[in-house]
Amino acid sequence: MKTDVAVIGTGLSALAAARTVQQAGRQVVLVWPGLSSLYFLFATIDVIGYPTATATESVADPAEAVARLITREPSHPYARAGMDAVHAGTRLMLEWFKEAGLAWQGALNRNFLLPTATGTPKPCCLAPASMTAGDLSRPEPIVFCGFTGYQDFAPELAASNLKRQWGAADVSAIRVTAPGYGPDRLFTSVDLARSFEDATFRDAVAAQLREHVSGDGARVGVPGVLGLTRPGETFAAFQEAVGHPVFEIPTVPPSVIALRLFDRLRKHLQEAGIEIIWAAPAHAAQVTDERCRSVLLKAAGHEFPVEAASYVVALEDWVDGAFRAGVHTVRDPFFHEPITWNKVPTDRTAESLFSTQPFEQVGYALTDRLQPADENGKPLARNVFCAGGAMAGYDPSGTKSRGGMAIATGYRAAREALAA
Amino acid sequence: MITEEFEPTTDTVEEEASVEACTKCTACNTVCPVARSTDIFRGPKALGPDMERFRSPQEAAVTPGLDLCSGCKLCEVTCPSQVSIQEYIRRAQNQGAREKGRSLRDWVLGRTRLLGRLGSMTAPLANFGNSNPLFRVLMERFVGIHRRRPLPKYQWLTFERWFKRHPRPVKSRRKVAYFYGCWVNYNDRRLGERAVAILERNGIEVVVPHQQCCGIPAVVNSNMDLARRYGQQNVRHLTPVAQEMDIVASSTSCGLMLKHDYGHLLDIPGSERLGAKTYDIMEYLWMLHEAGELDTDFQTVPMRLLYHAPCHLKSHGIGYPAMRLLRLIPGVKLEEVDEGCCGISGTFGVKVEKYDLSMKIGRRLFDAVKAAGSDYVLADCETCRMQVEHGAGATSAHPLEILAKAYGHG
Ligand SMILES: Cc1cc2nc3c(=O)[nH]c(=O)nc-3n(C[C@H](O)[C@H](O)[C@H](O)COP(=O)(O)OP(=O)(O)OC[C@H]3O[C@@H](n4cnc5c(N)ncnc54)[C@H](O)[C@@H]3O)c2cc1C
Ligand code: SF4
Ligand code: SF4
Ligand code: SF4
Repeated sequence: MKTDVAVIGTGLSALAAARTVQQAGRQVVLVWPGLSSLYFLFATIDVIGYPTATATESVADPAEAVARLITREPSHPYARAGMDAVHAGTRLMLEWFKEAGLAWQGALNRNFLLPTATGTPKPCCLAPASMTAGDLSRPEPIVFCGFTGYQDFAPELAASNLKRQWGAADVSAIRVTAPGYGPDRLFTSVDLARSFEDATFRDAVAAQLREHVSGDGARVGVPGVLGLTRPGETFAAFQEAVGHPVFEIPTVPPSVIALRLFDRLRKHLQEAGIEIIWAAPAHAAQVTDERCRSVLLKAAGHEFPVEAASYVVALEDWVDGAFRAGVHTVRDPFFHEPITWNKVPTDRTAESLFSTQPFEQVGYALTDRLQPADENGKPLARNVFCAGGAMAGYDPSGTKSRGGMAIATGYRAAREALAA
Repeated sequence: MITEEFEPTTDTVEEEASVEACTKCTACNTVCPVARSTDIFRGPKALGPDMERFRSPQEAAVTPGLDLCSGCKLCEVTCPSQVSIQEYIRRAQNQGAREKGRSLRDWVLGRTRLLGRLGSMTAPLANFGNSNPLFRVLMERFVGIHRRRPLPKYQWLTFERWFKRHPRPVKSRRKVAYFYGCWVNYNDRRLGERAVAILERNGIEVVVPHQQCCGIPAVVNSNMDLARRYGQQNVRHLTPVAQEMDIVASSTSCGLMLKHDYGHLLDIPGSERLGAKTYDIMEYLWMLHEAGELDTDFQTVPMRLLYHAPCHLKSHGIGYPAMRLLRLIPGVKLEEVDEGCCGISGTFGVKVEKYDLSMKIGRRLFDAVKAAGSDYVLADCETCRMQVEHGAGATSAHPLEILAKAYGHG
C-alpha cells in the first residue's frame, strides 16, 4: 500500500514519529509485527537519570544534563537528535497524552525519584499521575502494600531495600487479600487490573487498607494494577476509598502501566484513521538509485509492499530480535547489511551483568540526518531515517535515558522524513 | 569451535523452531480473549510454547482446558517474537481428538459442505428446524449445539448453480478466480453476487474454478486430516488456475487458510504457490485502486457504519483494506469498534459448553456496538457478523455490500 511516511516499529520512538507525521498533516502507516519493549517498559519516560553510565549521583535537571552530554559526546543519539528535538519531542508527547486522556506529569527541568518494586530509588522525568505520590523527595511515611499470593510484588522486600538504600525510616509493609484470588489460582498483574475495575473488588481491598494503615498522612504504594481500560477513574475511586494518597509501582512484565499507555496511544492513532499493519514484520527494503522504493512485509501467503515517500525505522536491536547475529556479523532486517560487531566474541559481553554491555552498542551507523549509513558514512538510502534503539554506539541502560532518547530521535527522524 | 559464517539467506533457528524464540514475556496472555473471560484457561503461553516442550508426535500432552482455545490467533498477532503459538495448540488439540475420539457434533461441524448440501437441498425444512424451539432443545440435548445460538439460514439456490447461469461479460481487462467458500455457496449467495458484480464493474472477468471447502471448519473441530484432504484437493484444483490469474476470497478465514495455513499448519506440499496468488477481496480491490484501476464513480451512501476487524484479518498482515476502501465513498461515516474478539470463532460459540464463554468474550464488543449505534456493523468474517447480530442486536454486513450500494446495486 502507499503512504507518505511509513513508520516501522511499535515502540515509543515509533509512536513519537507517527504522531509527528500526523501533526504535520501527512499520511502515515505503522508497521507493527508484535508488541514492542514498550510493553515491558517500566512505565515512566526516563530522559536522563545519571550523567554517565558509572555515576552514582542522579540527575536533578534532565534538560541541563542532556545538554552537557551532547557537548561531551557528539555521537550520542541525543546529540544526533539535537536539543531542539528533545524539547519538541517531549512537548509533543505530553500534549498527546493529554489529548488522549492519559494523566501524566513531569517536565524536562526536574526528575522524580520513584521507588521501584525492589525498593530502589529510580530517577525518571515523566510519569503517570498515579505514580508520582511515590516521589521520594516528599516527606510522608510510606506503606508498601502487596497481595497475598501475588508473586510479582513483595512489599517486605521493597520496604527493607528502601530503608537500606534511601535511609528512610518511616517505611513499612503490609499484605492484604485480593478477593477471589485463592492460593491455587495462577494470576498476573493483568488479571488483578481487570478485577480492580470492579467497584466491589476495589472497595473490599480498600477496606482492608483503611483498617491497616493507621498513621495520618501516610501514603500507600501498591503494585501497578489499578485498572486497565479506564485507569484515571479506577485510580481516583480507589484512592478515595483508601483515604490516603496512593501510588502505583510498576511490576515485572506484563506491566499494566505500560499496557495502558500503549493501548491508549494505539487506539488514539487508529481513531484518527491511521492505519496499523499487524502481524507482518518488515524483512527487506527495495532500494534503487539510493532511494528506498518499498519495504516488504512478511504477510500471510505473500509479501505486502509498503510504498512510502520516506521511512522511519524505529527498531530495538536485541530486545525485539530485529537484528540477527551470526558468529561474525550482525545483519539488519531491511538492508541486510552487515553491521559493525566486535570481532572477538568474548569482547561482546562484560563480566558483570549490570555493567554496560558492548553488544548493546551494535546498531546502524548514522549520517547527521539520522540516515542509516555504510562504513564510509554514505546513506544506505536517502529517504530512510533511524530512531530509537537501533542506533549504533551507545547503551542507554547506564544513564537511564532510553525513553527520552526514543522520543527525541523519533521526533527528529520524523521531521527529516517529512522534509525528505 | 563454531567457525561458520552467518548465512543471511537461511532462516534462523527461531523460524524453524519458534518455540525457541519464546522469551516468556507473557504478551500473548494479556490479549487472549479466552484467558480474559475465564480463569480456568491457562493461556497461550502455557498451552503453546511452554507445553510444546513436552509434546512429541507420540505424546500429545493434552492438558486440561486445551479445547478452550478458540483459535482466534490474537496471541500470534501480538507475540513480539513471532512464535506460532496457536499452531502448537491446534496440533495438540488435534492429537487429543485423535486419541479420545471426536463427538458426532464435531464430526458434523467439520463438514460444512455436507451440512450445506443437505441444508440447501431441504432449505425450507432445515430453516424451520433450526429456528424451532423444540427442535433446538433436542439438538442441544443430542448433538450439543446450544439452543440459543441462531443458526445460519440455508438457501435453495447455491452460488455455484447461480454462477453457472450468470452471463460472462463481453469485455474484460483481466481475469480473477473467486474462492467463494461454503458461506456464500449455501447461506449467502447474494454476497457472492455482489462480489461478482463489483469485480465485473471494474472490468474483471470472474472465473469460478472447481473448489472444495477451505478446511477451516475441520481444523477448528480438531480434524486436521480431513482439513488436509480438503486442502490438497484445493491445491490440486487451484494451483493451475493460480498460474494464470489471482485468486480472491471474500471470507477472511478461507483466505487465511489458502494463504498461510495450508503450508504452515497442514504441511501441504506445493501450497505456497497457491498462497502467493491468493488475496482477500478487499485487499485486491485496494490494490486495483492504487493501480488507478478501480472505478471510484461512487454514489453517496449516507450511512453510519461501524467496522469490526475480524481477528483472522489481523493475521493476514495486510491492515484493514475494507476501511480504506469505504472511506473513498462519499457520505459514509465510518468508525472502528476496536473491542477485540467477538467470541464466536467459527463453530466455537455454537457449542453447548462454549456458548456462554463466547457471549462473555463478546460482551465488550456488544456494549460498544450498542452504545455507538449504526446503520450497519461491518465485518469481513461471516461468523463475526452472526455474533454481533445475536449479541448486540445490530444489523451487519460484509463491507462489499456497502461498496455494492455505492455502485448502485441495491
Ligand atoms: C524490561 C524493560 C524495562 C524498561 N523500562 C524502561 C523505563 O522505565 N523507562 C524508559 O524510559 N525505558 C525503559 N525501557 C526501555 C524501553 O524499551 C524504551 O524506553 C522504549 O520502549 C524504546 O522505544 P523504541 O521505539 O526505541 O524501541 P522498542 O519499543 O523496542 O520498539 C522496536 C520495534 O521494532 C519492531 N521490529 C523489530 N523487528 C522488526 C521488523 N523486522 N520489521 C518491523 N518491525 C520490527 C518491534 O516489533 C518493535 O515494535 C525498558 C525496557 C525493558 C526491556
Ligand atoms: S508473546 Fe510470544 S514470546 Fe511472549 S510469552 Fe507469548 S509466545 Fe512467548
Ligand atoms: S488463539 Fe486466541 S484463544 Fe487461543 S490461545 Fe491464542 S489468543 Fe487465546
Ligand atoms: S469470529 Fe471474528 S472476531 Fe470472532 S474469533 Fe473469528 S475472526 Fe475473531
